[in-house]
Amino acid sequence: MFEQQVINGITLGSTYALVAIGYTLVLGVLNKLNLAHGELFMVGAFTGIAVARLGAPLPVSLVAAFAVSGLVAVAIERSCFYPLRNASFLSPMLSTIAFGILLQNLVSQFFGSDPSRFPDTGSSFQLTLGTLTVSAIHIVILATAFGLMIGIDLLIRKTRWGIAVRATSDDAETAAQQGMHPSRVTMTTFFVSGALAGVAGMLTTLVYSQVTPHIGIRQGLIGMVAMVIGGLGNLRGAMIGGLAIGLVETMNDAYFSAGYRDLVIFAIFFAFLIVKPEGLFPAHHSR
Amino acid sequence: MTALLEFSQVSKAFGGVLAVDELSFTLDRGELVGLIGPNGAGKTTVFNLASGVQRLSRGEVLFRGVKISATSPTRIARSGIARTFQNIRLFRSLTVLEHVLVAQSCRSASLLTQMLPFASATDRTLRRQALAVLEVFGLADRRDELAVHLPYGGQRRLEIARAIATAPELLLLDEPAAGLNDSETAELSGILETLRAQGYTILLVEHDMNLVMRLCSRILVLNFGRLIASGTPAEVRGSQEVIDAYLGVAD
Amino acid sequence: MNIYLEGVLAAMGINILLALSARAILATDRLSLGNAGFMAIGAYVSAYLTVSLGWDLYPAIAVGGSAAAAIGLLVGLPVLRLQGIYFVMGTLAFGEVVRTFFQNFEPTGGAYGMRGMFGTTLTMIYVFVAAFLVLFLALGRSRLGYVADALHDDDEAARSIGINVDLLRLLAFAWGGLIAGIAGALFAHYALYIESGNFNFLVSANAVLFVILGGVQTVWGAILGAVIFSLLPEGLRFLADWRLSAYGVILVGLMILRPEGILTRAMLRRLAGFFVRKP
Repeated sequence: MFEQQVINGITLGSTYALVAIGYTLVLGVLNKLNLAHGELFMVGAFTGIAVARLGAPLPVSLVAAFAVSGLVAVAIERSCFYPLRNASFLSPMLSTIAFGILLQNLVSQFFGSDPSRFPDTGSSFQLTLGTLTVSAIHIVILATAFGLMIGIDLLIRKTRWGIAVRATSDDAETAAQQGMHPSRVTMTTFFVSGALAGVAGMLTTLVYSQVTPHIGIRQGLIGMVAMVIGGLGNLRGAMIGGLAIGLVETMNDAYFSAGYRDLVIFAIFFAFLIVKPEGLFPAHHSR
Repeated sequence: MTALLEFSQVSKAFGGVLAVDELSFTLDRGELVGLIGPNGAGKTTVFNLASGVQRLSRGEVLFRGVKISATSPTRIARSGIARTFQNIRLFRSLTVLEHVLVAQSCRSASLLTQMLPFASATDRTLRRQALAVLEVFGLADRRDELAVHLPYGGQRRLEIARAIATAPELLLLDEPAAGLNDSETAELSGILETLRAQGYTILLVEHDMNLVMRLCSRILVLNFGRLIASGTPAEVRGSQEVIDAYLGVAD
Repeated sequence: MNIYLEGVLAAMGINILLALSARAILATDRLSLGNAGFMAIGAYVSAYLTVSLGWDLYPAIAVGGSAAAAIGLLVGLPVLRLQGIYFVMGTLAFGEVVRTFFQNFEPTGGAYGMRGMFGTTLTMIYVFVAAFLVLFLALGRSRLGYVADALHDDDEAARSIGINVDLLRLLAFAWGGLIAGIAGALFAHYALYIESGNFNFLVSANAVLFVILGGVQTVWGAILGAVIFSLLPEGLRFLADWRLSAYGVILVGLMILRPEGILTRAMLRRLAGFFVRKP
């Protein structure tokens, strides 16, 4: 039973981690919050549903969610961050809230405000290990999420792009002087950040039967909590933070009360900010 | 008779680097003392430690014999130490006169009286005093302009006027002549003499050696956070160590 | 007055109070995204007093507002130690904690919400709006107003002239809490029914948006912002279901075109100079 909850928690947490990674990447590069980040999750979820309704197989839905959310993230960067790059850090943050309202309304127009669901995947496959059962859907989610986490970790640590992102996070000015194109680094970072959130949204629709255009707010907040727990600007910290919140949520639901779920999560969030704002794994350049 | 300001074996480390290293000196009441040294010698750090902006790593700072090294900048300012900043820090949205009025409230007024509109008799007195301060600094006729619209020299003078308005006993001036032209520097020099005559104790960080040598009764020379010489202008000018570290190289 | 118009004006009045509450905190160079939490406290506390304990409306509003202010002092102490985005996130977390608390707190209805409140009139809302506006203007002209400007402009320079920056920030936070709490109490007794969802993150965000887009430099900017952006969605009704999209586009566009907000201090000064000829 407990083991089952752990599996469920890690599955859920892996989607939170994908959202938190994007949050922390953007924060690292720009030192600003994208408060429409949760909406990218929502956009990914609905893109996945739309593509699946056309009869496309699951991987196509995933790729579509990845691409569309990534592109929307770039649009957010171009309209909320780039024009306000010299303004106070507050301005783009508020702009992204307005952009979030826009996205919610647009999606409502196409899907309605009522919950939508992902078409049945038709898979009844289940892996049974002793008392544990892991459905095919869980396996898809875990494999995709962890695959992406390992992928982004490698990208950041091993590639030229990763070096540019890290350099910009450490010191944007010096990075620019060394020939790293700040605008290009920012845009690609937004794309990746949005794409990961989009995939997370798409994966979530597979387990939770229905989603509404308003799920983005909570997902964004949860992603923020995961990021803070892991330590702002720390990629692996964000992953661990996401998994931790997923576990807390499923354990709370299983052994405490589902009603208190968000109260517990936000209380942890608040406590962390007050007592340990640098998170569990402070990034070396965090301020 | 205790000194007005005393640094006793003060060190300040940033990371592994000592910006101030076992520094000891005293200022007596009414003195105008220069603090000189090459860039990065730790002069501004000394100011930040004395005004409470930064916490020292070791040692003690005493003001009127009372330890202030753990006191907040607000408390230190209220106890009578005022400062200016090397890179001018005026308030963007306040006029010249308002700078002085705001600084006066440091010494006066409970929060409640500060919430009342300007009307009371004390307010009129304070306003008269504020205008008198601006008169001294040659800023009275521009009192209703936004401070950021003043010419550079005027901004430097307003920073000192703002500091004076807090009714301090000790003034810490961080490069007040930086960026001034000759006539502005002459004006500043006159103001500093007036302040000295009025009995303010002044610690002056300045690169303009003519100004320092002419005005200061005593000069402290810092290099790499350590005091390498102190004495009258003549003594300091004659010290081989100072010439090597500073005077010989720079202007 | 027709019911539709009255409803729009009431919502606008509440929005003005929320904008003033956001501005009270913004004036000390801190942005709070948790004012909906204060609003919820004012709403639930006052509603509990009138519905469950049979209090009169006015004392209930006063206690509701004071409770929000008191929580402001309590929460402000640790949260105000945070800076920049950490402070923003801290207030956001506070707002969400309060919201989810009331979602689960049975004595005030929990997830079912609360009903049975009544008594707020349009006049009452605007009396509070006028009273707070007068207070803001009076404070703005007082020594404290200049002190607040100083600490907003340059924290360190303000400390250097003996301004107690930390205390003022704390008081401003509680002052913002008081106004939002009163707005919440008025809202609860106007809307007749409240649930925790009424006090979500977007309510806090909107309050700040009103101020930033209206103009952060003067109180009038906050009022103007609240008025325009309360009426705008109504004016966009011809767009039917697309009006929130248009609203979002307009907000994003305005932020780009006028990052300082619609009304600036310089503009106000020019207007004043136009109407009042100086001797």
